[in-house]
Amino acid sequence: MFLSAALAVLLSTQPNDPPKPFEFKAGDRIVWLGSTLVEREQRYGYWETALLAANADKNITVRNLGWSGDTVHGEARGRFDFNNPDMCFKQLVNLTLELKPTVIFISYGTNEAFEGKEGLPKFEKGLEKLLDALKPAKARIVLLSPMRFYRTKSYPDPIPMNEKLKLYRDSIKAIAEKRDVHFADLYHVWPSFHIVSENGMHLTEDGYKHTAVPFTGILGQKYTRFPETKLESLRQAVIAKNELFFHRWRPQNETYLFGFRKHEQGKNAKEVAEFDPLVAKAEDEIAKLRKELK
Amino acid sequence: MRYYILALLVVLSPVFVLAQKDAKVPDPDPELERKTFIVAEGFEVNLFAADPLLAKPIQMNFDPQGRLWVATSEIYPQIKPGEKANDKIIILEDTDTDGKADKTTVFADGLLIPTGIEPGDGGAYVANSTELVHLSASKPGGKADKKKVLLSGFGTEDTHHIIHTFRWGPDCRLYFNQSIYIHSHIETPHGVKRLNAGGIWRFNPDKTELDVFARGWINSWGHAFDKYGQSFVTDGAGGEGINHAIPGGYYLTSEGPHRQRVLHGMNPGSPKYCGLEIISGRHFPADWQGDLITNDFRGHRVCRFKLKDDGSSFAAREMTEVIKSNHPAFRPIDVKMGPDGALYIADWYNPIIQHGEVDFRDPRRDKTHGRIWRVTAKGRDLVKKPKLVDATIPELLDQLKSPEDWTRLQAKRVLKERGKEKVLPELEKWTNAIDIERHDENHLLEVLWVWDAALTDNRGVTQAQVKAYGAVLKRGVFANSPQVRAIAIRLSGERHAKGPKSGPLEIYKEHWCRGDHPRVRLEAVRSLGAFRSAVAAEAALLVLDKPMDRTLDYALWLTIRELEPYWMPEFKSGKLDFGGDAKKIAFALSAAANKDTVKPVVALIDGGKLPKENVHGMYLLLTQIGGPDELVKVLGFAGRDSGVTPAARIELVQAVEDAIRTRKVPPPKLATGLPSLLRQDGAVAHSAMRIAGLWKVAAHRVMLDTAASEPETPDHVRATALEALALFGDDKAKALITKLCSADQKPAVRRMAITALAGLDMPTAATKAGEFLPNAKPEEELGELFAAFLNRKGGAGVLAKALAGKKLNAEVARIGLKSARASGQPADELIAALTKAGDLGAAKKPPTPDEVKALVADAMKGNAVRGELVYRRKELQCMACHAYGGAGGQVGPDMTSIGASAQPDYLVESLLLPTKAIKEGYHAMRVVTADEKVYLGVKVREADGLLVLRTSEDKEITIPVKDITERGQAMKSLMPEGLTDQLTKQDFADLVKFLTELGKVGGPYAPNKARVVRRWQVIDPTNPNLNLFRRTRVSAAAEPDNPFAWSPTYSKVSGVLPLGELPKFTVWNDTEAQTVLRFQLDVTTAGNVKLKFNSVERLVVYVGNTPVEPKLETILDLKTGVQTVTILINRHWRTEDLRIELDDVANSPARVSIVGGK
Repeated sequence: MFLSAALAVLLSTQPNDPPKPFEFKAGDRIVWLGSTLVEREQRYGYWETALLAANADKNITVRNLGWSGDTVHGEARGRFDFNNPDMCFKQLVNLTLELKPTVIFISYGTNEAFEGKEGLPKFEKGLEKLLDALKPAKARIVLLSPMRFYRTKSYPDPIPMNEKLKLYRDSIKAIAEKRDVHFADLYHVWPSFHIVSENGMHLTEDGYKHTAVPFTGILGQKYTRFPETKLESLRQAVIAKNELFFHRWRPQNETYLFGFRKHEQGKNAKEVAEFDPLVAKAEDEIAKLRKELK
Repeated sequence: MRYYILALLVVLSPVFVLAQKDAKVPDPDPELERKTFIVAEGFEVNLFAADPLLAKPIQMNFDPQGRLWVATSEIYPQIKPGEKANDKIIILEDTDTDGKADKTTVFADGLLIPTGIEPGDGGAYVANSTELVHLSASKPGGKADKKKVLLSGFGTEDTHHIIHTFRWGPDCRLYFNQSIYIHSHIETPHGVKRLNAGGIWRFNPDKTELDVFARGWINSWGHAFDKYGQSFVTDGAGGEGINHAIPGGYYLTSEGPHRQRVLHGMNPGSPKYCGLEIISGRHFPADWQGDLITNDFRGHRVCRFKLKDDGSSFAAREMTEVIKSNHPAFRPIDVKMGPDGALYIADWYNPIIQHGEVDFRDPRRDKTHGRIWRVTAKGRDLVKKPKLVDATIPELLDQLKSPEDWTRLQAKRVLKERGKEKVLPELEKWTNAIDIERHDENHLLEVLWVWDAALTDNRGVTQAQVKAYGAVLKRGVFANSPQVRAIAIRLSGERHAKGPKSGPLEIYKEHWCRGDHPRVRLEAVRSLGAFRSAVAAEAALLVLDKPMDRTLDYALWLTIRELEPYWMPEFKSGKLDFGGDAKKIAFALSAAANKDTVKPVVALIDGGKLPKENVHGMYLLLTQIGGPDELVKVLGFAGRDSGVTPAARIELVQAVEDAIRTRKVPPPKLATGLPSLLRQDGAVAHSAMRIAGLWKVAAHRVMLDTAASEPETPDHVRATALEALALFGDDKAKALITKLCSADQKPAVRRMAITALAGLDMPTAATKAGEFLPNAKPEEELGELFAAFLNRKGGAGVLAKALAGKKLNAEVARIGLKSARASGQPADELIAALTKAGDLGAAKKPPTPDEVKALVADAMKGNAVRGELVYRRKELQCMACHAYGGAGGQVGPDMTSIGASAQPDYLVESLLLPTKAIKEGYHAMRVVTADEKVYLGVKVREADGLLVLRTSEDKEITIPVKDITERGQAMKSLMPEGLTDQLTKQDFADLVKFLTELGKVGGPYAPNKARVVRRWQVIDPTNPNLNLFRRTRVSAAAEPDNPFAWSPTYSKVSGVLPLGELPKFTVWNDTEAQTVLRFQLDVTTAGNVKLKFNSVERLVVYVGNTPVEPKLETILDLKTGVQTVTILINRHWRTEDLRIELDDVANSPARVSIVGGK
């Protein structure tokens, strides 16, 4: 019993094909959609840093719009309109389009996978709808599969959930092929010998660190070794930029600044736009450090 | 008299900020602050810590070493662009135990508004905006250098709502709260958890298990556990005082699948409270043990409540304050018992509170101060700080006998952190060594919690350990103490709901659901909600065989709803019949209120076995779920001559009307019930007429036509007949109503016809209004006519056009203006048209900051006594919308401590510009329905496709969500503009002065814990009322379900009801003048209580319809339920005002509260 389960895990970790390289261009603006996996990456920055380093000759900027608990329907983004699926979805689409992306990373499926096979049609419909709604951006799309869950002390049996996640991974791959967009297989990121998760579902800070190179790998990026200290400076700059951008797009006190009580404190909303030049300055710092890598 | 007219422009822009404008920045010397404290007798207060050791404390908790961890924020309320988030967690230590902190450590910085802190697991759990993080230091005693994100996705829509109120439960789970504006979406390996409003989370960090423990409240910054694990909650923006939180329960403003019904706090009409702690331990005197301490942070008071059992729940009574002060910056916000048995109070120290109404960047926001105060009992020994962190496991198990809750909780934390590998063998040894049957039950309960916390999974657990745990659990769930039994059942339920169920469910049936104590039954019923089986529902319903109370009824309702997916299919297929017990079936079907159960409900009614007290409920249920045939059945029942009280008849007929409106139930083939109802009096006949209109019943059309057209029809009947005809909506109805609008009709007929026509044919109605209004007189009731246009989309504009070039009586135009302002909607064109047609002259501009300043200066010289009389004037309508001490309208905020929290300029502005700053929870929605009707009101709830709003008239209206074509926030406050326009300058100043005094400590209008009757109902001498008196007798007013029309009236702040303001009447020409009054008492546990009268001269008193001899102290023996006290006053002789206070009778079990509200 145990053996066959272990074997199943082993087999499922074999990628079907070597990943196709995704080509980044100078001036690319990546907008990254997803749930906790994406949201937490912005506070650690390992994946983003690895991506920038792999393309150190190009000026690439990243805008992380990850939101915990989110789905392809924008379920976590509705705020006071949480009961209105149209408003949730609009939040997701409109903000993405406003940022004028040339590349969109779409990283969903984990939360939907709790619904198992029964939830698959709803997920597929939602993903197709999202892809259609994002067409006006004319951006290159990368569909990322969910990551697997890991066996940990507090989460001893990930197999049933991974069977579900695999279904969603396969479905995303099929949609990517049908639409001729890029597919990146996070499900098969396998960080050998490192503990990357404590709760079984999410990566720890170390988890992002040890999966950074495999992450660029599934996007087909070539790995170049850079001095650790230089990479670390770049990562700190990335984190600083992400924090400023977070205050810009997801400020606290939304209710008073932009929501239904803006007639009281909406005058302070102008402060939020003052984050724009600060984000731009932080990008300059990133660009400087990126060039210094070589 | 020279009138000072404060007329205003209607369209306003918030150009200047004035809320709390005159807030004074006081001298920050802590000793000056301390000197303002009035401390409870026998206690004293010393300064434990103050700035610069700490600034802006938000929450505090002790660790097992006795160190105080404090979350502080200088960034609140909002980070500035370019500012680095640098809020701190600090640790305060009193190393020489002199009662003053002498060591401060900054444990963490670089945080963004940390609103919660709880030390544990080698560091601390901290609320960090969207995340819950665990911080720890690599070096013991050092600064945190490791941060683990445990949960993310908490909403941040309001920085005084983000996750807060962290505390370890007695079960070693981390409990924390979020508030109403927060929408959280949290991923856990066990699924995504969402909570889109306020509530309490329960978190097990070992397994990243997160669940909602209870839902609701506006801003619940207080949560404490009593020694038996029961939860109590306070709300920093709600007004219900202490709440007893039951697992899974829904409270005020809940979101979630069962939000139709909520539980309430124990002290309606309370000010807002922040923080909550329970007194325990040897340092405090015996009569303080188990008392609750919370903070009226607006009123600068630390308050104390005494808790008593009340059926399955509790009753809480306010006692004299621990501290009260008039220091403007004393803001007690958190309260905790300390390791020495003293009480610690965190003082946020700020003249300005809140950031909704006051600018984020107001320069007077204090950013640098903060205090921790320590309250000790004079002449009593402190508790010696217990040895915990260095203790052995057996020593720690022994500490669980401590009389201090503090010590027991911390000992459990230390045990938990030792790890189960070390603890389980010792627990096993300990358990096997005791005589379990005779062991102290309280101690056993603590050990049970230790077991429960250690056994979060089965890995490495031996059979012998499982057996030992089982022995303790078994002893707990069969304990002699009902309190121990109750909480042990909760723990047992959590475990057994996941495993094999049949064994445990038999015990529920055999013992717990039939338990001798209502709290045992309460916990049994709630824990069954997780059992996911039909048998669990069957077991839960067994509690109906025992006495029920309100909390139990709610708990059963919730459990039955949670279990509906399991029992309903079996019930429908006939596999389950709840023992054929009609009472149980009726309860289950009512709780489910599911359309699929019409047949069984009808069968239950027709079966004839239904207990009498359930019959009305089943018919009401039919109005919620039934189709046309069932509604006819209800009408038939309501029309019976016997077996239906007048009140029940009205409720049923109006429920049928609501059903047709909200559920669009189509007409039946034959509306047989209606004719007999149309012959009834009053509300029943009116509702029946509207039903005839809604269903377009041709058979009653002639009657309606006649009633609408005949000259001698009474006005109120004509109005309803016209309304019913308009509902037919056809050309014939339109033609008839249009005809009744014409100039050859009586003015009253024209007015009502135009009002009805507005819903059918707005342009024609407007034309007719344009013809009618120039000749209308102000004494006619024109408000409804204007409202008919204003409450329809585009109506105001159409009416404005129809009035072009017309001349109106100036007073008529003013009535129109008043309606336009009260409508809460933009109506510029109509206002302009009315102003011109009435030749009223231009409206005045909004007051400038200087004018407001001048008004405030005048108000400070005003007279509060006169101001209260202005406040009470009928035409100002203050009491129709605002309550004091819970008595009064519920449309706007309660005024109990408004003067202590709001500054005079804010009050002046709120009177003149009601829309500029609106209190949390009082924002109105604007909804337009498919028939172009506009509704405004504060959202009460939205569930099952129905939106319920509370209108400015304090009425709840239900709108089917399907009918809504537009919805959004109303642009305006529900408080009409121009209310104070007619006041003299002096009246206005006096009114403001009165409001500024409300709730001020030390003043004449300070909060008072006396339970006085504030809400009364009085019989107005209207003709129908007088005729009823003549037909019966005056004491008929004391009969249950009497047909008199009662109007609300309210006591003054002092509790005195001024007789001079009350209507009096003489029944016959030569009888003496009388006043008939009544009030209600809500009795949750039966027994003796006392009413204290200021004077009983010339009073006749009834309780129910039984006469009672009034004495200055009248003892009443009351049964449970709402009891009405009716008082007849001979006004010819009595001139003294009336004041009645409710008080306890020694040793009486009674739990009684005075019914408040409107």
